[in-house]
This record gives sequence, structure tokens and C-alpha cells, in this order.
Amino acid sequence: MALPKSFKRALWVFHVATGSCNGCDIEIVAALTPRYDVERFGIMLTGTPRHADVLLVTGTVTKPMLPRLKRIYDQTPDPKAVVVVGGCGSSSGVFYESYNVAGPIDEVIPVDIYVPGCPPRPEAIIDGVVKAVTKLETLERSGVKSR
Amino acid sequence: MNGITSGFGTWNPIAWTLLFIGILIVAFFVRSFGRKDYKRNTGQTKAFLSGNEEPDAPAGLHVSGDNLYWGMVHGLSAYYKRVRKWHSGDLSDYVAWFIGGLALIFVIIVWVG
Repeated sequence: MALPKSFKRALWVFHVATGSCNGCDIEIVAALTPRYDVERFGIMLTGTPRHADVLLVTGTVTKPMLPRLKRIYDQTPDPKAVVVVGGCGSSSGVFYESYNVAGPIDEVIPVDIYVPGCPPRPEAIIDGVVKAVTKLETLERSGVKSR
Repeated sequence: MNGITSGFGTWNPIAWTLLFIGILIVAFFVRSFGRKDYKRNTGQTKAFLSGNEEPDAPAGLHVSGDNLYWGMVHGLSAYYKRVRKWHSGDLSDYVAWFIGGLALIFVIIVWVG
């Protein structure tokens, strides 16, 4: 079976936890385990945003993480896609208007894909990353180097 | 290409130069595969420190070359405290020390025979 066109490239993902309870983070790790094994498609976690194509962000943005998230976003080369994993990152979830929360992620950096859930299943996270690949390919085809 | 061959190996400057040029060509070839779309003078070219801001390095944080032999200087600090006082930076002092040392050696040689 030929791989879909979306999988023609190795996709490096940088995972940022901006204040999550680790539920979404564990599901991201589950996507790397042999049951799902996304690395067979070239999707792998990288240790620095400088090498990443996709930012995978979990959790609502706590105030101490606000400048750090902005800095990490700035350090990611273009073209890039941002995937938010979980309800907290999408809408602040149960931490909505909490005293120590700067807001959901799209109030801090531009977001391309939302993967809702508390936590979302690994299949949903993988689906979000694949949508990010499609987004990146669209950006590259149109010659867009930055947003 | 004639070189110098000894029991320790062979030295041929032309061969080494050619080798270095070959290594440079391979290095530039590999480097050409790198991404060229980084934006200069933005966060994309700054060091990643887990999202933290890169601090301005204070004087004490700078790792200089003499840190390599810090242990020796620390172990012999009693000796270095005295010797550093004599290290005036004046060439005349050093020449005087040299002549004094030579004279001492000369005296020892004459004395011992």
C-alpha cells in the first residue's frame, strides 16, 4: 500500500506543555508507543523548536509560561504549524478565567489545528498532526515562508 | 610527493593540504543540505534554553581558557600567591631574574664541580 501524499516527508514535532495536567502529554507519548508508532511515518518528537515543523502545545497558558511559549514560537522556523492538544489549550477548559491563566493558546500564538478532548485519544492527536502536514504542504506550495 | 618518513609516521604537507581541502569540500556539501530559510536576527537564530531568555553572561560566568588548569592553580595557591607578586610585567625584571638564575646555575656548577 502506498503511503498517502501527506506522509512523503519526515515531520519533526516539538512538544510544549504550557500548564497541562499531563493527561494530554501522556496521550502524546502513547502515540509514540508500538501500538500507534507514529515514528514509522517519520513523525518524531524533537528536543528543540529550532528543528521542528510542528509545535504540539498542551494545556492552558499559565502566566509564567506566557513569554516562554511566545519565545518558543519565535524560535520555530517557517513554515510551521501549531497543533493544540486538549480542551485546556483550546478554551482554557476547567481553568477558564483562573487567576493564574493568561488564556487559551490561540490568544498567545496563532493556532492552525485544534484537537479537543480531555484528553484526546492518540488517534485524534495523530489525525491533528496529519492535518498539520497538509497545512505545511499547502504553505510550501504557495511559497509562504512566514505568516 | 616526497615527504618525511620516520618511526613516528609520515609527514607530507601537500598530502595533508589535499586532505583538508577534501574535508572542506565534503563539509560544505553536507552543509548545503541545511535549511536556508532561517530569518536572521530573529528568535529563529537564537539559542533554545527550554524557552527561557538567554541571560547576559556576567563576568564570573564566562569560561576562559585558564579554567582548564584551575585545579592546578588552586592546589598550588600558596605558591602562586607569592609568585604572582613577582610577576610585575616589566621586562627588565624578567631579564634580571634570567641573569640571576643563570648566575645561580653557574655558581652551582662551579661549586659542585
